[in-house]
Amino acid sequence: MPAGIGEQRDHRGSRRLGGAEQAFWYAAAAVSYVILSLWHKWLLNWFVGPLWLVVVVTAGPSLVDRVRRR
Amino acid sequence: MSWAAHQFEVYAIQAHLPKKMQGKVSFWAIWLGDFTPDFLSKFWVYGITINGVHYGSSVPHQWHRGWPGMGFTHTLFLGILVTLGLWLWKRNRAWAVGYLLGFAAHALTDVNDSVGTMALFPFLTLNFSLETWKYAASIEGGKYLDAAAYYSSLGLVMDLFWLAVVLASWRVLTREYWRTTVVPADPGVWAWFGRFLPERGLLALYRATFFYGVCRLVAWSTWAHVVARPVIDGVERVGYPLDLRWTGPWWMPGRSLPQVPIWVVIITVTVLLIALYAVLGRLWEPMGRAEKAHRAKRAARAGR
Repeated sequence: MPAGIGEQRDHRGSRRLGGAEQAFWYAAAAVSYVILSLWHKWLLNWFVGPLWLVVVVTAGPSLVDRVRRR
Repeated sequence: MSWAAHQFEVYAIQAHLPKKMQGKVSFWAIWLGDFTPDFLSKFWVYGITINGVHYGSSVPHQWHRGWPGMGFTHTLFLGILVTLGLWLWKRNRAWAVGYLLGFAAHALTDVNDSVGTMALFPFLTLNFSLETWKYAASIEGGKYLDAAAYYSSLGLVMDLFWLAVVLASWRVLTREYWRTTVVPADPGVWAWFGRFLPERGLLALYRATFFYGVCRLVAWSTWAHVVARPVIDGVERVGYPLDLRWTGPWWMPGRSLPQVPIWVVIITVTVLLIALYAVLGRLWEPMGRAEKAHRAKRAARAGR
């Protein structure tokens, strides 16, 4: 694992999340996953569940940054 | 069977490794070991239905935990065999020890349901079960009834217990712990994932199994007790009845296989856990020396 490149950016130059922002994205992933999976229970599996969190936490902040830049 | 307990126990093991193993056992090996039994057997337990034709096991609990069947996937025997294979192949102590710990956790946790596991396979093909809750996988009920029964019984308490164990060692979920303890034990795997994911994605990947465990616990419990409208004994109910007595829930027919008495289960599982801990503790240093020697030999061969 490469050492952190500065405090704000990681080894890929992506922004590191602060505590509150990180909590927001984890909560968003959990709430959306639980609500959707109550009605679409096929989502409750070993593959979709973990992937859901990784996608939301990885892509969510990047998308918001992109929209803000416009 | 256990549900989210299997997700939580991965972090519980990670957090409670003996001091000399901390930061030196692969998280991914624990994860893989814990998931192997169900990876190998579960797909056929519920099966799939295509155009009204069901493809799957005709007797799910026999397939899942019995012999003949795939019950050997939930035995320490297979865990030890795969661990030996891993060790002979890679001479990697972090993976061999992690894999066996994860596998043992899964196989021994599953003695709680009414079917249990064959703890002494291949020497004995009787199942070891504490009958804490009913094993509920069936062709008619599928995954839904299985989930409803589990989350209406002491299975729910089992999941909450393992969740509490992880939350009591909450540091295991922090970024600091991940960076200083988890990544150094498995730098190659994390570096590979790091080619595709930013750090926040890697951390999410580490926490993802815990996240999935919490979400499935909440989602299935909510569905079973709030959303579902089951008809039990001819009466439509709001949610499945909760039954936190031993061998619950009452509204589900129990399934079991020929098994040993409960006192034998308690003694055997305790002895197996102590033996596993003692053997791994004893082998830890010699395995480290063998790994070093193997690496030195490979480096010398590469240098020629």
